Amino acid sequence: MSNIITGKATVIKSNKDYYKIKKETILIADHTHPDIVIVMDKIKCIITELDNKLCHAAIVSREYKKPLLMGVQNATKKFKTGDKIMVDFKNKLIKKIK
Amino acid sequence: MINLLKHTYLLDLSAIKGDIERLWKRYQKIIGDKKSSWEDLNEARATLYFLGHLYPEHLALESLERRIKFVKPKITLDKFFLIIDKNDVKNLKKYSKNEKFNKLKEFYLIVKSIKNRVKNGVYLDEERFNNVYSKLEPKNYF
Repeated sequence: MSNIITGKATVIKSNKDYYKIKKETILIADHTHPDIVIVMDKIKCIITELDNKLCHAAIVSREYKKPLLMGVQNATKKFKTGDKIMVDFKNKLIKKIK
Repeated sequence: MINLLKHTYLLDLSAIKGDIERLWKRYQKIIGDKKSSWEDLNEARATLYFLGHLYPEHLALESLERRIKFVKPKITLDKFFLIIDKNDVKNLKKYSKNEKFNKLKEFYLIVKSIKNRVKNGVYLDEERFNNVYSKLEPKNYF
């Protein structure tokens, strides 16, 4: 797995937001919901504010072999849908890029 | 809930499974019964919080964290989860006859079965719960 992933962000505020995902994206959420499975093939990686090895995002990312960065405080406020971002898993950093 | 915690301490897997299903059925009965009271709905709320969050993300996780140290050859909890969730055949074979590993694996799968449960298209039937709960919520509730 690459330590750095870049792409456009989708910020999830409710279950309905999963259904709006049409292209490959980096998913940002406080926590994930079961509806995420319908778009797993479009998700490059997952970022959550919640940090727990048994939370839904942790389980689903292991099952679908998707990179996951948990415990990113205020991620859903710092970024908005459409932002181009870079996720550095090694250093646990997320940056907006132009 | 106390029974579930007790059986988790004992790692009595069939009792854990039974306790979880009893709590789930009671929760379903409360939110599906038009005669349920505000007090009943708060029992359902407690059950929802317990089964959806407290039990899997804290109590069961702590139990796994404590017990994984007794598995030999040594394995980290992260690797344990990865082996099971990614269906890592090579490592599953390595531990296939390991009683402690297999017991913890079964426990984890039981916990996952409640953590991932969806009813009426929604995680833990939360939408139905929220609808019923908001209808019975007293105006002066704080």
